[in-house]
Order: sequence, then C-alpha cells, then structure tokens
Amino acid sequence: MMPLLLSAVVGCRSGAGAPPSGYLQVDIDTSPLALDPRLGTDAMSSRVGELVFDALARVDEHQEFAGDLAASIERSAPTAIVFHLRPGLRFSDGRPLTARDIKYTYDSILAPGSLSPRAAMFSELAAIETPDSATVILKTHRPYAPALTLATVGVVPYGTPIVPHGAAPVGSGPFAVEAFARDDRVVLRRNPYRLAALGTPRGIVFKIVPDPTVRALELAEGVCDLVENLIQPDLLGYLQRRPALAIDRFPGTAYQYLAFNFRDPRLKDLRVRRAIAYALDRRAIVDHLFHRTARVANGMLAPENTYYFGGVTTYPYDPARADSLLDKAGYPRGASGWRALAFVYKTTPEGERLAEAFQAMLGRVGIRLRIRVNEFGAFYGDIQRGNFDLMSLQWVGISDPHQYRMVFDSRQTPPRGLNRGAYSNPAMDRLVETGDSTLDRAARRAIYRQVQRLAADDLPYVSLWWQDNVVVMDRGLEGFRPYPNGSLRSLADVSRGPRAHVERGP
Amino acid sequence: MKRRAFNASLMIGASLVATLVLCAIAGPLVVRVNPDAIDLARTLAPPGPGHWLGCDALGRDLLARILWGARISVGVSSIVIALSLIAGSLIGGFAALAGGRIDELVMRAVDIVLAFPGFLLAIALAAILGPGLPDLVIALAAMGWTSYARLVRGEVLALRERDFAVAASALGARPARLLLRHLLPALSGPLMVQASFGIGGIIVAEAALSFLGLGVMPPAPSWGNMLDAGRAFILVAPHLTTAPGVAIGLAVLGFNLLGDGLAQMIGSRPV
Amino acid sequence: MKRYIVRRLLSLVPVALGVASLTFALIHLIPGDPVIAMLGDNASNADIVGLRQRLGLDRPLWDQYAAFLYGLAHGDLGRSILTNEPVARLIAERFPATLELAIAGLAIAILIALPLGFAAGANPGRPIDLGAMSFAILGISIPHIYLGPLLMIVFSLDLGWLPLTGRGGLSHLVLPALTLGAALAAILARMLRQSLAAAGEADYIRTALAKGRSRLAALVHHGLRNAISPVVTLLGLQLGGLLTGTIVTEIIFSWPGLGRLLITAISARDYPLVEGCVLTFALTYVLVNLVTDLAYALIDPRVRIE
Repeated sequence: MMPLLLSAVVGCRSGAGAPPSGYLQVDIDTSPLALDPRLGTDAMSSRVGELVFDALARVDEHQEFAGDLAASIERSAPTAIVFHLRPGLRFSDGRPLTARDIKYTYDSILAPGSLSPRAAMFSELAAIETPDSATVILKTHRPYAPALTLATVGVVPYGTPIVPHGAAPVGSGPFAVEAFARDDRVVLRRNPYRLAALGTPRGIVFKIVPDPTVRALELAEGVCDLVENLIQPDLLGYLQRRPALAIDRFPGTAYQYLAFNFRDPRLKDLRVRRAIAYALDRRAIVDHLFHRTARVANGMLAPENTYYFGGVTTYPYDPARADSLLDKAGYPRGASGWRALAFVYKTTPEGERLAEAFQAMLGRVGIRLRIRVNEFGAFYGDIQRGNFDLMSLQWVGISDPHQYRMVFDSRQTPPRGLNRGAYSNPAMDRLVETGDSTLDRAARRAIYRQVQRLAADDLPYVSLWWQDNVVVMDRGLEGFRPYPNGSLRSLADVSRGPRAHVERGP
Repeated sequence: MKRRAFNASLMIGASLVATLVLCAIAGPLVVRVNPDAIDLARTLAPPGPGHWLGCDALGRDLLARILWGARISVGVSSIVIALSLIAGSLIGGFAALAGGRIDELVMRAVDIVLAFPGFLLAIALAAILGPGLPDLVIALAAMGWTSYARLVRGEVLALRERDFAVAASALGARPARLLLRHLLPALSGPLMVQASFGIGGIIVAEAALSFLGLGVMPPAPSWGNMLDAGRAFILVAPHLTTAPGVAIGLAVLGFNLLGDGLAQMIGSRPV
Repeated sequence: MKRYIVRRLLSLVPVALGVASLTFALIHLIPGDPVIAMLGDNASNADIVGLRQRLGLDRPLWDQYAAFLYGLAHGDLGRSILTNEPVARLIAERFPATLELAIAGLAIAILIALPLGFAAGANPGRPIDLGAMSFAILGISIPHIYLGPLLMIVFSLDLGWLPLTGRGGLSHLVLPALTLGAALAAILARMLRQSLAAAGEADYIRTALAKGRSRLAALVHHGLRNAISPVVTLLGLQLGGLLTGTIVTEIIFSWPGLGRLLITAISARDYPLVEGCVLTFALTYVLVNLVTDLAYALIDPRVRIE
C-alpha cells in the first residue's frame, strides 16, 4: 500500500516553479540583502545588481576600469574626472538616463541621514557637477588616485527614494527586476530598451537554494543552468561525470585571509603572528579541501592586478619554525604539550570545516583555538565590534590597491572603514595615504610595492589563497565570458547552442 | 499474555549494551588512532584497509571517532541518568512521605515542568547556558527527572502503607532512612526499566543537541555532531552519515530491548 | 461532561501562565549579562545601554514580568535584535509550515501504525507479528537525525523519487513527515498490537465466535474499540515529542518552519526571538495536551465522573 501511496505523490523531483521558457536559472546560496545599489553592499546584491544597473565605469574582464554609461573618461585636473555619457541611454521603463539621474544617485547616498551604508566610502568625494545632460564631473578634495572606484555605483532614476526592504528601483542595465521574493528567488526580465542579440536569455531567475547538495543536484538534473563558485569543491568530481554539464575554471581575485585582532596584546607580538603563519599548511588545504580550485596567496592583490608585486616574504608550511618562534616569544609548551596561548576563532556554519582544520594545525604547535560558530548576522556584528581574536573572511572584487587603506589604515576602523582588527602601523598609514594621492602610475606602483612588502613582513593578515572562479553550467550555453572578479555580466550575451537540446530528466 | 521462557529482548539488549560499554571503555585503547588528527590527503576517503570506516571531511579516522563518540554518549548519558534518577527519586520520595502541602507544592512544580515539552527545555537550557559539558549535563538532566519523581512518588504512596514500612516507621526510622534503605530498594525493578528506556532517550537527546550545535563542540566527536558534519557530503560520502547513525541506532536499540526484557522479567507490560 | 470541559479549560490559564513564566525565567538564567551575551564583549557602552533599555532589562524584575505578560496578552513579543522585525510576525510567518509538518507526521504515523499493529495483534506469535514488531522496535531506535538522511539517501539520491529538501508540493512533504512520524508509528503499532493481542483472548471474542461471527470481525469490532483508549493516552504522551521532533526534522530538510527559526535565533544570540519561539512551542504543547485530555474524556466515561 505504501508504494502505491508514494507513487501518487511523486512528481518531477524538481518541484514547483520551473522558470519560464527562454529564461536562465542560476542558483545562489543566500538572498541578496537589497536590490537598491545604494543599499546592497553584500556580494549577492552586487552580482544581481550588475545586471540591472549600469554605472559610470566598471571593472572589465581584464581587471581594468572601463566606461559603462560613460563613452569616454578623462582626468581634467588632479582633483577632477570628467565622464562623457553615451547617447540614447534609457532606463528599463523608457525614461532617458541623463547626468541628472547620476547626480541624484550620489546625492541620495551622501545626504545627511541617508540610510545608505555606502556613504562612508565617498568621504573623498567633494562634489558632483553636471555642466550638461551628457557630462558628469566627479571632484575630489585632494588628488585621488582611486577616483574611478567612486564611479562604480549603480545609477537609479532621479527622485527614487532609498527604502529599506522596498521594491527594487528601475535601472538601465540589460535586465530589469520582475519579482523579488526574499529567501526564494529574484526574477529578472530583459530590458526592452537595450539591444539584445537573438538567442540570448529573455530573463534570468536567481533561485535561492541554501543547501549545497541541492544546488549540485539541480545542476545534475538540468533544473538549473549555471552555478558560479557556490559548488563545494568535493562535489566537482561528481558533476564532472555528467555529460550534460561543463565545468569552467579560471583564476579569480577573491582573497581569503586570516585576520588578527590587534587589541589583544598577545597578537601584537610579531613572533606570534609569524608562528601562526608558519603553522598553517595552506598548500594542503588548497590541494585537498579545495581540490586545487584556489592558488596559495602571498598578498591581497592577485597576480592579475596591475599593481601586483610578487617579491614579498612568504610563509611555507614550517611547524618547526613556528615552534621555535613561540618558544622565543615566551610561550613554552607545558607538560600537556599546550602552550599558554588560547584564541577565540569566530566563524559561520559554512566556515566550520576550515575552522577545524586551522584548529588542528595550530594545535600541532601548541596553540589552542576555541571555535565559536554563529549565524552570519551575529558573526558579522561580532567582527564589526572587534569581538574576536582570529577570524577568516574573503575580500571579493578588489580592483584598486586603495583597498589597503580601507583595511590597514589605523583610522579606518569600523564603522568608518574595514580595519576590523584595529591594526596600527605609522609606516603603513603613511604609505597608503600617499598611495591614494599619487596619480602617476609608475610612482604609485612603487608605493604599493612597499605596501605589499610591509604587509607580508608585518602580517596584519595571514594571506591564505586566491579563490578560482569555478562555473558549472549546461554544456550548451555559449558565450559565457569569465571575469576575474566573478561578475556574471556576460549572462546577458549567452545563448544556447544547438547541442543544448539534449533531453534531461530527473 | 504468555510469558516467553526465553527472553529474547533481554538477551539481545544486554549484548548490545555490553558491546557498547566495551567499545566505550576499551575501544580507544585498542584502536590507538588519534580521533582529532587531521590528514587532509585522506579527506572523505571511503572505507578500506587502514581506515576501516573511512575518513571524514578533514581526513580524520572515522572508526576512532566513533569509538570516542561512544565514550561521550555512554559517559554523558550515564551521568545524566544518574543525576535524574537520584534527584527525581529523592524529590518524589520525600514529597510522598511528607504529604500534605509539601507534596502538593512539589507536584505542582513537576506539573509545570511537565507542561513544557522535554526536548524543548533541553534546547532552551543548552542555548542559554552556553557551550560546555557541565551545562549540557544540566540541560539533559532537566528533561527527564520528572518521570522518576512521579514514579517514585506514586509507588511510595502505595508502599507507605505496607507492613515493612509501617514496622520500620514504628521502630523510629526517620523518613530519609525509610526512603533510602527500605522503599527505594523495593522500587529498583520499575526504576531500572524506566532508566533503561531513559538512557536511550538521553543518548538521542545528546546527539540531537550536538547535531543542532548546542551540545558537544567540535573537534570532540559526538555521534550527533558527526551526523551534522556529514550532511554536506551526503552526495559523495554517505559513509560519514551511516557510521554515526548506525552507532546511535544500535545503542538505542540495545537499551530499548534491555528495557523491554527487564519489563518482561518483572512482569509489567512492555511499551 | 460539560463541567469537566469547563474545568479543564479553566486550568488552561494557570498552566499557560506557569509555562510563560518559566520561559520568562529562562532568559534571566543566562550567565553573565544577557546584553553582553547578545552584543559581544567589545560592544560600545552606547550599544549596551541602548539594547538594555530597549529590552527593558534596566527595570526591576516585577516590572519586566508585568510588561512581558501584558505584551503576551496583546500578541506583542518584542522585536528581533538582529532584524528589528516584530517577533510575533516572524513566528506567524513560520508557524503554518511547522503545523503542516506536524499534522503530516501524525497522519503518516497513524497510517502506518494501524495496518501494522492490527496485522500483528490479530496474529500474535506468528511471523507477521515478529516481523512487524521488529520493524517497530527499529523505528523507535533510529533517531530522526539519522532516519532523515537515510531516507534522503535512499529515496532522493539513489532512487530519485522524491525531492531532497525544502517545502513545496506534496512530494516535498513525504520524507520529512515520514522522518517525523516513524517513531510515533512504531510506538502506536506496538501499543495497538498489545491491545489487540490481549483482546484476542477475552471472553467477548469467544462469545462472538460462538455466535458465528468471524474472529476477524470480532477483533475489529471489540478489539479496536478497546484499543482506542490506551492509544489516545499514548498519543497524549507522545505528541509533545512529535512537536519537538519538528525542530530537528526542519533542520535536516531545510523546512522553513518555527523550529528552524528557533535554531537560527539561537545561533544569532537573538534572545527575544528565542524566547518567542520557545513560548510558542510550549503553549502549543499545552493546547495539544488539553485537546487530548478532552478527547480522552469523550472516550472514557470514567474520567468525567471524577
């Protein structure tokens, strides 16, 4: 009787809600926090936002800044950059996009009492001028080398208020938001005012699937067309055996690091930090836990970045050296083998496996790591408030070495900046401040060579690895272009080749 | 109902429990592998020579972790059961002997605690008290003491009037002595049956709390947190789930059968 | 009968009050300062004072208790400290999913236990009895945390019949409900078997046989009727376990219900939300107990006379 009952309820395993025809389905792991580009600073909001909103400039596939809404960009003065807009720009509801909308977008972020968390990033911005409807001038207080990073905010129409948890604003990107059911899916449909080649997707459904096994299953069954970076490396072998899927791996700039909290006097001791760096076997983690979908890193900037400098101190796995450093630092091993060193490591459930690996590796050199797991919201709050000894996170989408100032300048502690560990080094402060105001490329390169050397020697972070971008997709999809920062912008131009019509069932 | 001459439940149950206790005590001594030693090259290795149950997500030997997990399960549940049993019996016994208002008061308190679903109380306490073994024991003990209190109170109320109790009382035995030396020993049968089922319940509760991240903390290998860790790899390494799952199942089966068998032996209906 | 119902309904108030008070007391059992537990050791003084005020923790205990009860009576359970949304609303959004799961679990348990228990009880000592009861003891022994993944591996991954996780149509409900209800099914089956086996030897069976009725018909008629009372008692004892079983089942199957909300709230150290979820579960349990008590009274006249 049971099998009969069961077969009565068994349907297609994929369940309800298959995407409309002509739409792509992309599975993601968490909901974007906000689809208003002025509110959503998390990675998922950016990924989806890039398809809906255009900006003055964006980082292209070669890690260079290129005009997006702007047809041309020039620096008219050390403190001013001029953007000439392309003609005929329109929002997805037909409204023309002019300089007025761009100015409004920035003004709404910088307005006093504005709810936008981006406001802190624009402290260098002095003014936005719009001499005519097709020209925007960004003026900074001082000569500001990373000025183009200010130009990457998605543009919304004039008059759109910032409403937390509100509807997504209208944008000018290749797609528009059709529906956003938080914790379920984001549905995008093609922007009718943007030219689209024949065969490209009529829309994209970003389906939120928190369970990593289900994401892999949906790919294997053909329910989902593409997943970027959110497949566990251990499952790649399983997916590789599926003839209907293709797996693309390309170098990425996402930088995983171990951060120290310098408010703890024990971590202020360079010998302790160096010992920790030598105690971690990053090679083994990359090879076996990530199945080589990452590269052991020696600094925040990946080799693809024009400012990258590789001649820095590295820390190959050397537990013996770590032992001697800790002995010299005054933490000898006790009778039980442990040293008088115990640190609290904070993480989220997704990071628990890595945490236990670190715990075991540090345990080998006598350091006790206490792991505290909290759901992301509480974890993030802890990090912002400096409530940790050690933690590991990723910086995604670093384009300009200005990032060094945001994370290592002693005055950039939260909520103002990203220096969560309260690192303070006057030499670093001087270098990164000069780096921001040096406009000459060669001179700036020289400065950041020193910055990278200093970061590797003084260890505010232990550099862990640069994560590759791994895209698993329907073999029939053509035209996907990889971006080192993981951007999905090329989804607007993919199409299904003739091979795609392979019958795939549950 | 016919009494089976051969008490299968008791035999099988006792064997399983004995095996479990043996594994817990002697297992880690026989299989001298460090359960916390990671070996990244053997991540998710399937069962085979050298690692008879395979390896987990960090290359740790699963057999060693299962055996150490047995220590945790048996250890924690023993302590918890002992605490619940002692606390519950004493409270219930004194309430029955004291009678009157004290009895009423105690039973009201028991009712309020009973109005709260047991496992929920354990979760709430574990969440609030935080990580750590003593807090875990408190949370788990809070779940079960009421059943012993009720049992003992009920039986003591009945036994109180029996000859041996009246005699001892007449001879000047204080209530404590009466309870401990005369009444409780008479109850050892039903208490054992209750405890047997109880241990199974505690083993599952501890595993569930560890599964939810509220019990035994990593890297310590509780069968519960091993089951939680195995979930992400169910597609490519189901042995991570099977090993601890079967271990819990067999342990609980053993205690359930033992309880059944004991109940048959002393004549009450097994349920 | 009416008097009994009224009495039981009236007793609901003090019990609910007791349960609510116990829940209230739990928050004050947090070792150290609950506000620091929520915000962390390095939180700014302003943050700490602000949250303390918001939660009313700076007021005297009786004041807080009164405010808590007042809020409860008006459906106000405070605000989540993480998202600032009203706790009551968050709970109301998730509760139907848990209810759906619990009812489905109960339904499956009864659907499995009836035929299994009956078949075993009608044929005591025969292979079907032994087989069914072995199955049952296994069902009691395998915990949710393993049964869930086991069913997932067999029915979803290997056979591909059913979806793995999540809430959706009927097919998404099967595995979670089965996981939740299996232990209850096993216990019910054993109880049913016990009742029927005992009834099978009773006088009225012999009478019925003498009258020419089939043994089976007699069993169904008398045996089942007699079994209802202990079954309802058993259900009354086990429904609490069913309710709390949803917590673990929801985590395993990513079911968007109250249990998952509770665990997430604990992980987020969001104590107002934790308190709200615990309270909801506990009060539901009290209600369920009341209903089963009333059902029992309907069935067993002796209860009413007390």
